[in-house]
Amino acid sequence: MRRAFALALAVIALSGCAPRAQSSTVFAMDTVMELTAYGPRQAVDGAVSLIHEAEDRLSVTAEDSDIARVNGSGGGEVDGDTASLLKRALELCKLTDGALDITVYPLVRAWGFTTGAYRVPGEEEIGSLLEKVDYSAVTLEGNTVTLPEGALLDLGAVAKGWVSDRIAAGFREAGVRSGLINLGGNVMALGKKPDGSDWSVGIRDPFSEGLLGAVSVRDSAVVTSGGYQRYFEENGVRYCHIIDPRTGRPADSGLASVTVVGAEGVLCDGLSTAVYVMGLEAASQLWRENSGFELVLVTDGGEVLVTEGLEDVFKPMDVYKDGEIRVIRRD
Amino acid sequence: MWIIIILIILLISLAAAAFLWLRPATGERAEIWVDGELVRSVDLSKIQEPERFTVETDRGVNVILAEPGRIRVESADCPDKVCVDAGWLSDSAAPIVCLPHRLVIRLSGDASLDTEVG
Repeated sequence: MRRAFALALAVIALSGCAPRAQSSTVFAMDTVMELTAYGPRQAVDGAVSLIHEAEDRLSVTAEDSDIARVNGSGGGEVDGDTASLLKRALELCKLTDGALDITVYPLVRAWGFTTGAYRVPGEEEIGSLLEKVDYSAVTLEGNTVTLPEGALLDLGAVAKGWVSDRIAAGFREAGVRSGLINLGGNVMALGKKPDGSDWSVGIRDPFSEGLLGAVSVRDSAVVTSGGYQRYFEENGVRYCHIIDPRTGRPADSGLASVTVVGAEGVLCDGLSTAVYVMGLEAASQLWRENSGFELVLVTDGGEVLVTEGLEDVFKPMDVYKDGEIRVIRRD
Repeated sequence: MWIIIILIILLISLAAAAFLWLRPATGERAEIWVDGELVRSVDLSKIQEPERFTVETDRGVNVILAEPGRIRVESADCPDKVCVDAGWLSDSAAPIVCLPHRLVIRLSGDASLDTEVG
């Protein structure tokens, strides 16, 4: 009798009462964004304005953004939010020893990835543009940025991750305990799903339209970078959109796809680019020497590796289902 | 007396749960969104003959082809044709997107994945 009552209560508790899902689709930052919050509508509306404000301040192509102004005049004062992102971005450049470099923009532009007018620049052009690439020459004092002559900033490799952190913080402030933010492949899962289970985030197979697998996460960002996402081909050679700041050429580190999982969106975003550039060995070392993130790596040869923190939550799918998954361990 | 009320509540709950668990797997309804607004919903399981329709906005036109169980953008006047190249929509977590026209086609309904990266 008492057990039946307890069971009835449990069934009732499980079959309803979760806050309604509030969703929004936003076209911004050159991508399509999906926001879902189980909570008040204002939380989602606030996130949409936050995205548009961030785009207005951070876009490298919009004429009057903070970044465009600094690039146009070699420095100047920026908004406090922009300064805090820039500060974090410079820390990440340092952490990755320049594999992430927020001053690589002149080369990205030379290869045509900003406009779609793709071309292969000559040796000399690459060499002279590389001289302008050096994040360590950027100074930030308070909200004032100073760039060396000819240097150009681009926060594109960290902006979406940072915005996902800000949206998650806004959601929490508004009392949202469950939500999912997908900023064009930059995912932030807030809390758990309303049914109490973890969010399942699929990861694309870099070699097909199918899936590599999925990770089950809560309160976590999931960000993927890969050369397959955007590239062009010339004379049978494929050139990908992620430029190695040390060579000035498309990254060719032996990795086809990098997924970073961790609590901080901006860290995961910046590291996904950096790890793609640095390759398996350097990435494994970076992971062993730091905490706060885990990795799913796919090599050009199709081998799949995960760091040990993801061993139990990564589930391979499709053609990878029965394949071997190598685990990278601390020791 | 109480036991009857409890049993009734239990039965209703179980019936509701059974309804939620046992209903047929969805993912056969395609939704077409433009600039964040749902403009059309197509039940792909009810389509018998190929059905073609256009979604026209200030930004341009997408011609959408729905066939039994599947849907795609057949042609579009957008500059990049990413939506056309995407082919048939097969995966509920990865929608077809036409950025220039702010158009998204996605499958609605339950799926094992909540979202997708990459």
